[in-house]
Order: sequence, then structure tokens, then C-alpha cells
Amino acid sequence: MGLPNRTRRSLLYDRAAAGAMGLLARLSGLIVVVIAVGLFLKSVPILKNQSLSSLLFSSEWFPLRGQFGFLPFIMGSLWVTGTAMVLAVPLCLLTAIYLAEYAPLGIREGVRPLIDLLAGIPSVVYGVWGVLVVVPWVKRAAGWFGYSTSGYCVLSAGIVLAVMIFPVIIHMTVEILRAVPQEIREASLSLGATQWQTIKKVVLRKAFGGVLAAIVLGLSRAFGETMAVLMVAGNAVRSPTGFLDPAYPLPALIANNYGEMMSIPLYDSAMMLACLILLGVVLVFNILAKLVLMRIQKEIQ
Amino acid sequence: MKRIVLGLCLAGVFVSSGCGKRTGASSEGELKGTISISGAWALYPMAVRWAEEFRRIHPGVRIDISAGGAGKGMADCLSGAADLGMLSRDIHTSELEKGAWPVAVVKDAVVAVANRNHPAAATLFSRGLTRQECIDLWITGRLKTWGQLSGFSLNEPVHVYTRSDACGAAETWAKYLGKNQEDLQGIGVFGDPGLAEAVRKDPLGIGYNNVNYAYDAATKKPMDGLMIVPLDLNENGRIDPEESFYGDRDEITRAIGEGRYPSPPARLLYLVSKGKPARPEVLAFLEWILRDGQAFADEAGYVPLSKEAAMKELEKLTQ
Repeated sequence: MGLPNRTRRSLLYDRAAAGAMGLLARLSGLIVVVIAVGLFLKSVPILKNQSLSSLLFSSEWFPLRGQFGFLPFIMGSLWVTGTAMVLAVPLCLLTAIYLAEYAPLGIREGVRPLIDLLAGIPSVVYGVWGVLVVVPWVKRAAGWFGYSTSGYCVLSAGIVLAVMIFPVIIHMTVEILRAVPQEIREASLSLGATQWQTIKKVVLRKAFGGVLAAIVLGLSRAFGETMAVLMVAGNAVRSPTGFLDPAYPLPALIANNYGEMMSIPLYDSAMMLACLILLGVVLVFNILAKLVLMRIQKEIQ
Repeated sequence: MKRIVLGLCLAGVFVSSGCGKRTGASSEGELKGTISISGAWALYPMAVRWAEEFRRIHPGVRIDISAGGAGKGMADCLSGAADLGMLSRDIHTSELEKGAWPVAVVKDAVVAVANRNHPAAATLFSRGLTRQECIDLWITGRLKTWGQLSGFSLNEPVHVYTRSDACGAAETWAKYLGKNQEDLQGIGVFGDPGLAEAVRKDPLGIGYNNVNYAYDAATKKPMDGLMIVPLDLNENGRIDPEESFYGDRDEITRAIGEGRYPSPPARLLYLVSKGKPARPEVLAFLEWILRDGQAFADEAGYVPLSKEAAMKELEKLTQ
């Protein structure tokens, strides 16, 4: 080998470092698998005892009698998350578009840190804010329309959640919109399109995949949010039938009861299954988003 | 080890002599260590008070107390996360099988609460609720509006509240209604203070609380904005003088002590450990609670154990 020693050593180091980093990367990827396998092993006892479909589609939740129907909790999660998304997505998109495309530099630099700050507020603080502000407000507002609710309901939880996922969606969307090359904006504008037409027809089209990914990230965050939701959702074991009904989302179920009902047979196994369902749903969301992204990228090319 | 033996011997002497002089099973001032206690909201104020007094005698002992519901207390003590769990319900056999070792320490009760600004507060106060009506509110959900209760002429919906955490108050309340916590309908709110707060903010709300969250510790009157809903025990549709003992905390604790308030919802409160505690400071604390600690029950809003009951619990410690 005609290489000087030092070069050879550097090459060796390089390879070793690359190997080590590769191993770490693989390990962190493995963690998800390890968690999923662990949860699955723990939920085996209840799956042996009852069929998965009866667990997922029954509404009978009476652990002392050995009945574990998760449907009310799954529906609760879907209602609350759905409400949050309906509230958050349009607001976030418009905010992000304004910040990325219209806002003068001063405002953009001033507002973004504030929005990011929202992400740093602990969720229990959101929960307290929900109980003190949102719940009474929802109760009053429902009263104006002639509905009676205690305020602990899907809508309150949705509002609190929406505010919690603002920063996630806005931050990412702004980044993505900023990443759209300036040339195509100029091309569109030079053809006589207005700024709004340019954003709608050119920028958003180009950024669609990324925006979708941002929304899915927000969705996953909302789906798993625990503390703030359990403080305002009402936690009644019934599938909600409207926005003013109480809901009992899955994470709230786990947080309220994990480790407290050790004396009931199969209970902890049921809790693990609940965790597994949560993990599964979030994974499915993410995989779907990935698939859509890939489709879109193909189309664009 | 030696100290434990000594302590046990002393305690043995103590019980056999059967008198209540305060000498403490362990020699003064040499107890050291930390006792961690977690669990029932119901017992929390009492435990804090006891810890204060105990530390006066044994400054070397630190006592950390956190509340999170009876279920949490049981889980923490069985898993070893806490030395003692506070339990505000009867112990399940499966928990005994897992090695739970309970000591009854004091009594209290769960009471039904409604909002002071209820549109027909006076009616509610003078007619109370029968057990069957409570069942129709919390279990069957048959009562949907206040108007379905005799004596009310308002068509407003009832907002029934219950607890979302695994807790003794719900378990005890459900037991009074012949069921378990999982059968209670209503909007689930976390924690005793949380439930009181929810009912305080909702004129149409009805819930239940441990005595010490329904009454104000300072004034001994029902909490601001809360109204205690009397139980119509003889089911004659009104609250008679002998059923009326909700005016202040002393009145209700007297009624509990004398058995005029039914049990459940009155109940014993326990401290639980996993197996008999081995550490001298934990044993000493339990013993102190059963001997001298009982004197603080009244002022903290609880009902002390009867002499015989306290003696019986003490025997557990010395076996």
C-alpha cells in the first residue's frame, strides 16, 4: 500500500466512526420495534382470553366482570382528535401561509418564537387553562344556542388540543413553504398571476406533501396527548354522539388507571393493549402519510 | 435489628399493660429515616397533620406524602414505590393475597354535593335524595332532568359527576349504591378537589366528595359554592330533624361517629404496607397514630377509631 500511515489511520477512523454511527441509528430505529414487541407480549393474556374484534368493537367496559370493550375509548379518541384537526388545520395553514409569504420580516421573526413557545408549555398547564377558561366558555356558548352541557366535552378537549398542535403544524409548514424555490414564484408572478393565485396554484402544490406530513405530525401529537385532554374531556365511558358529549380518549384511560387496578385480573394486560392500539394508530397515520407523499412525489416528477 | 426487637418488646409491654401513656415504643429522638406515603385524597389532610405532629417528637424522621387516589396508593405500596399507601376503601382479597397489610387508622365518609346556586337549592336541601334516587342518577341514568325528582318544577338536565381516577370515594359511593366504581355514570373528573371544583362551577351539577373536600377546613362550613345534599334515610320525601346533620363539619363527623350517617358511605380509612413494616420508624409512626394520633382526628375533620378498634389494630403491630 502506497498510502502514508497517517492517511491510512484517518481512513480507519473514518470507517470506525461511520460504523458506530450506523449502529446507533439502527438502534434508535429498533426502539420502536422493541416497544411494540414488549407491548404485544404484555397484551397476549387478554388477547388469548377474548377475540380482538370483541375487544375493539364492544362497548361493555366492566373490568371487574372481565369485560373490556375498548370502543368507547377509541371513539372518544377519534372524536376529540377529529375536532382538534378540524379546528387547527385551516387556522394553521392560513397562519403559516401568512408568515411564510406575506408577513414583513419583523412580524415573521417576532411571531414565530411566540408560536414556538406554545410548544414549550407543559401539557398540564394547557389542562388547567382548559378547566379554568375553555370549559366554562364552552358551557356558556352552548347555553346561547340552547344546549346544556357541563363544558367537559369533546369540543373543549378539541379546542385545547388544537391550540397544543398549532406550533407543530405552523412551524413545519412555514419551513416547508420557505423551502419552495423563489424562481417558480417569480415565474408564476411574471405570467400575471396574483400573489394569492401563485400561492394556491404553485407554492402549495409544490409543498403539498410536506404540508401533509406536518398535519400528520400534528395529528399523531393530538392523538397521543394525555394530560391536557383527560382534564377537560369529561372521561365518561360512552361513545360520544356529538360535540357536547363527554369523551374518554385512550391515553386518558391509560393515564387514569395504569398501575392502579393491579388487583383486577387482566386489567394491566388490557392497559397494554390500549397502549398497543395507540401506537398502532399513530404508526398507521405515519405510514399512510408516507405513502401519500410518495405518490405525490411521483406525480410531480 | 436490635432496635426493632427492643421496640417490639417495649410495645409488647405496652399493650399488655394496656394503658395509653405516651412513652413511644422507641427511645426518643433516635429514630431516623424517610417514610414515603402515597394514595387516597381522603386521608391526605389527616396524614399531613399526623406527619407534622410526629416530626415534632422525632425530628430525624422525614415524611413525604403525595395524593393520587386509593388505587395509586395500593399500587405504590405493593410495588415498593411507597412505604405506606393511603386507602379509602375496603381492601380486596386479591390485594391481601399480594401481601397488602392494612391498618385502620381513622374514619370518615363520602357525601353527595351539589351547587349552592342550584336553581332550586332550597327544595333540594329540604327533600334530600333517597338511595334509590342516587342509584337512578349514578347507576341507571334514569333521572335525566331535575324535574323527574318529586318536588322540583324545573326541566333542566342533571349534570352528574363522578371520579376518573381509581379512588376510594367512588368505590365507597358505588358500594352505597350496591355497585362498583366502574358502574358509576357521569362526567369523570380527576381527584377530589377537581370534582368539588367541577360541581362548584356547575349550577346543575351533582357529585360526591370526601367530607374534608366538601367542608372548608378553616370555617368548617361547606365549601364556598358547594351545598351538601342530605340523604333521605327513611325515604319519606323530606329531611327530618334526625336526618339533618350537615350544617358543619363537626356535626357530620359526630353523626358518622355515632353511626347515624350510614356506612357506606361512611367508611374506615387504612394505611397499607407490603407485609408488616420492618423499619422501626414506620412502625413507630403507625403506633403513634393509633395511640396519640387519634386525638388530632377531630380537629382535622375525621372520626377517631373507638378505643377497642384502636387496640385491635395495635395488636396487629405487635404480633
